[in-house]
Amino acid sequence: MNAAIHARGIGIRFLFDRDRRPVTPMRARLGFGGGEAWGFHDLSFSIGPGEGVALIGPSGSGKTTLLRALAGVVSPDAGTLTVQGRIASLLSVEAGVMAVLTGRENAHLLGVLAGLSRAEADARVEDIRERSKLGEHFERPVLSYSQGMRARLGFSVAEEIKPDILLLDEVHEALDHEFRNFVQQRAEEILAAGGIVIAAGHDHPMLERLCGRALHLERGTLRADGPFTEIQQAYLAQV
Amino acid sequence: MSETVDLEDPGATPAAASGVPAQRERPLDVLIALTRSDLRARYGRGASQLVKWVLEPVALVGVYLLLRVVIFDRGGHAVGLSIACSIVPFQIVLLSTGSAMNCVSFREPILLNMRFNRMLLPLSSLLTETLAFGASFGLLALMMILYGVAPTWWILLLPVVVAATVALAIGIAYPAALVGVWFPDARLFAIQFLRILYFAAPGLVALSEIHGRAHELFKLNPLTGLFEAYRDIILFGRAPSFWMLLYPVGVGLVLLLIFVPIYRREQNHFAKVIGA
Repeated sequence: MNAAIHARGIGIRFLFDRDRRPVTPMRARLGFGGGEAWGFHDLSFSIGPGEGVALIGPSGSGKTTLLRALAGVVSPDAGTLTVQGRIASLLSVEAGVMAVLTGRENAHLLGVLAGLSRAEADARVEDIRERSKLGEHFERPVLSYSQGMRARLGFSVAEEIKPDILLLDEVHEALDHEFRNFVQQRAEEILAAGGIVIAAGHDHPMLERLCGRALHLERGTLRADGPFTEIQQAYLAQV
Repeated sequence: MSETVDLEDPGATPAAASGVPAQRERPLDVLIALTRSDLRARYGRGASQLVKWVLEPVALVGVYLLLRVVIFDRGGHAVGLSIACSIVPFQIVLLSTGSAMNCVSFREPILLNMRFNRMLLPLSSLLTETLAFGASFGLLALMMILYGVAPTWWILLLPVVVAATVALAIGIAYPAALVGVWFPDARLFAIQFLRILYFAAPGLVALSEIHGRAHELFKLNPLTGLFEAYRDIILFGRAPSFWMLLYPVGVGLVLLLIFVPIYRREQNHFAKVIGA
């Protein structure tokens, strides 16, 4: 496993209509344009094999947008982003699962979307059920799940694709202690195998266990990049 | 199983943005998985699925049959079958358009979490409704039995007519998906516009019963050819005119040529809009 991420001057731009609702570029060109703002801009960094990196910063600093760019959910509007490795991501409180589907149906769908064939996804559903420890809830619609149960399901599916790069955005904070330990153990295994773990959130003790390095984001810019403890102390000193 | 990808071009597709290679290798699996989940979300699970599929077109035919026979006091030859010949193809166009308009927002939790082939979203909406469309063929068979209309060899052209219907529906699905993202408040209006198109076509009566300027104007509506083609092969037992199939297929192709490239560019930004 030789996971790597290189970002050179990347930025994500949001366009708005007159009511300040975000719109796509073509929609903005159709008229009623209301300006633009950068989620983050001019970010440059490299992350190599075996690195755990925390994204630290206040709400609105660009952490989630950066994670979405790294996951390929949005494409940078500026700069160059190179990602090497198979990615698994948990980037929303919904943990990427569909509320109207059951745990089993989500496991199949997300497995296929993540790269498994339908037959492979079917074959691995029982493993996902086992790992998620959802029991009989696995056969019920996800809308009956708690946030923590959704995160368990999402993480269990993400695990199934054997990621080289794991992206976590606060979702792990919804997990109970038992599953947190499991996530931490898996993150350590990914790092030990030369993978990358990038996590954002406000639970700094949890981040510290996963990450030796931190990027401090503020208003969409990279304020500092260095060892976790050093960056965290500088961040906490200013808030 | 890793790969290296670069994003040198800011306008590149999301497929270039990160390293999960799956959907480029297995678009058919992704399409089927999306459609299966769509079917469960839209029609539920188990036996109730089939009941809902069949009842929807039956209910629609009943409404229009009532409108024509009772309200307008107009009878005619196998009027229920004639209306069913327009309702069934209209169903797929209407329902796939409605489904396509919601296909991006409906997938919000997944769209915000992982990269996958978003070009397939309108297609999965279409496939979902096409399967529903398949179930409603029972209605046509039932009407033929009720009215004592025997099938002729021309009914073998049904797959061709269905293909023309799907071609038009697929052409509409991509702009519909964009409308759903660009103007979410206009979704209802768009559906009402399509309903108007049904009445601006020979939906309740055959084109031969419409005279004057309306007769010529209705031919501009791509639904007209489809409705007439279904009637020809099912009700009248004759060959459909060439234009009846060619025109809706042509409209579908033109829409695809215009809107697929736009959709391809815009999909890079869907998460910015729905995730806000």
